[in-house]
Amino acid sequence: MRTQSDSIVDIQGLNKWFGALHVLHDIDLTVASGARVVVCGPSGSGKSTLIRCINGLENYQKGTLRLAGTTLGLNARETAAARRQTGMVFQSFNLFPHLTVLSNCTLALRRVAGKGRGEAEDIAMAHLEKVRIPEKAMSYPGQLSGGQQQRVAIARALCLNPRIMLFDEPTSALDPEMIKEVLDVMVALARDGMTMVCVTHEMGFAREVADQVVFMDGGCILDRAPARDFFGSAGHPRSRLFLETILKH
Amino acid sequence: MGFDLAFALSSVPTILGAVGTTFCVALVSCIGAAAIGFFFEMVRRAGGVAGLTTGFVIDFIRSTPVLAWLYFLYFVLPFYGIRLGSMTVGVMGLSLYYSGYLAEVFKAGIDAIPKGQSEAARALSLSRRDSVIHVIAPQMLRNIAAPLGNYFVSILKATPYLAVLAVPEMLGRAFDIASETYRYTEPLVVAGLIFLALALVISHGVKRLERRLLAVGAR
Repeated sequence: MRTQSDSIVDIQGLNKWFGALHVLHDIDLTVASGARVVVCGPSGSGKSTLIRCINGLENYQKGTLRLAGTTLGLNARETAAARRQTGMVFQSFNLFPHLTVLSNCTLALRRVAGKGRGEAEDIAMAHLEKVRIPEKAMSYPGQLSGGQQQRVAIARALCLNPRIMLFDEPTSALDPEMIKEVLDVMVALARDGMTMVCVTHEMGFAREVADQVVFMDGGCILDRAPARDFFGSAGHPRSRLFLETILKH
Repeated sequence: MGFDLAFALSSVPTILGAVGTTFCVALVSCIGAAAIGFFFEMVRRAGGVAGLTTGFVIDFIRSTPVLAWLYFLYFVLPFYGIRLGSMTVGVMGLSLYYSGYLAEVFKAGIDAIPKGQSEAARALSLSRRDSVIHVIAPQMLRNIAAPLGNYFVSILKATPYLAVLAVPEMLGRAFDIASETYRYTEPLVVAGLIFLALALVISHGVKRLERRLLAVGAR
């Protein structure tokens, strides 16, 4: 019983195929409440697919994935309810270009959470303050830099008050000088105790906030370790090679 | 045969009298075609048996002449006990016929929206309906304002087909005058000019709408 309330995500023996392509092999992963898991690995290793399975954007064929106590994929309504416990941030921001920053944030508050306009805007502004961009509330996404857009995307995801935040390579599409402003927001979020699963190559970020680092290759989890150990001398030879490559460059 | 300006002007009031009919038929047909076309496209996108069937219906509509639809609705349906007024049949025929084309326009407009948009909507737990209304449709409209305007003008220009159903539209009126007076040039030119004016008004309106839509969140 304890495990149910303590872990937000509980994945066991997860397998996924895209047609004939076997993209996830027997994945086991548990994310406890308050945990900060960083998933890394070469491109095509299945890490994005894995994180997209966690909020049901992708389905799976074998194994079980429990999110907030609900096994995803059994019942559409329950899956949708469980998804409300998550917030997701995408590599390409995916802000709605025809809506202002504020409306991007209030849309789900009004349509999903059923809040009135005033209350929705108050909540949205509070989160925009948190990501330090309240002055852009009336701007459109196209008028913002990449880093600003990604911070808005984080605020938008936070508005529904999720129990877990999923980040899918949030800084990969950003110019180098904008990466820091986004990472700073994410670090602050971690400090606040937010549970997060983050697919990223930002090893500095992983070292700073992660309490578990998961290394994937070829659709398998090859290595998992507390951040200290992962960056230390221990670990799987494949992840050592990966680390050497990306830290060198 | 010269152009008698006085006679042309004298035919203007009669022809203008039918502008209202032409414009109303065109307007209601545009709305009908857009509504049916959007519905068709939504069903087609959803896939399954209904989607495949709707895809076939769309292709079928686009492969048949608009006149065939008008004749069918007006002359064949009464055999099955469905008797409709000529104006109703006209609007239904044009709406159905152009819905096939507009479904294709909507498809292109939706296909051009990055996949991440509907994914973001799903990640935010928006219902499918809310996602269509608040995320997909507004961006689609922005992508297709120009071709949509073209089809609205096409619908306007298709209203003379309704002459075969004796709907008192503009070109039919002009032709009535011509038949009575044996002077064809003036009434037809007048009708043509009025069509031109209406088409220009619609194109201008669409262009303004497009500019406004594109200005929102301009990159």
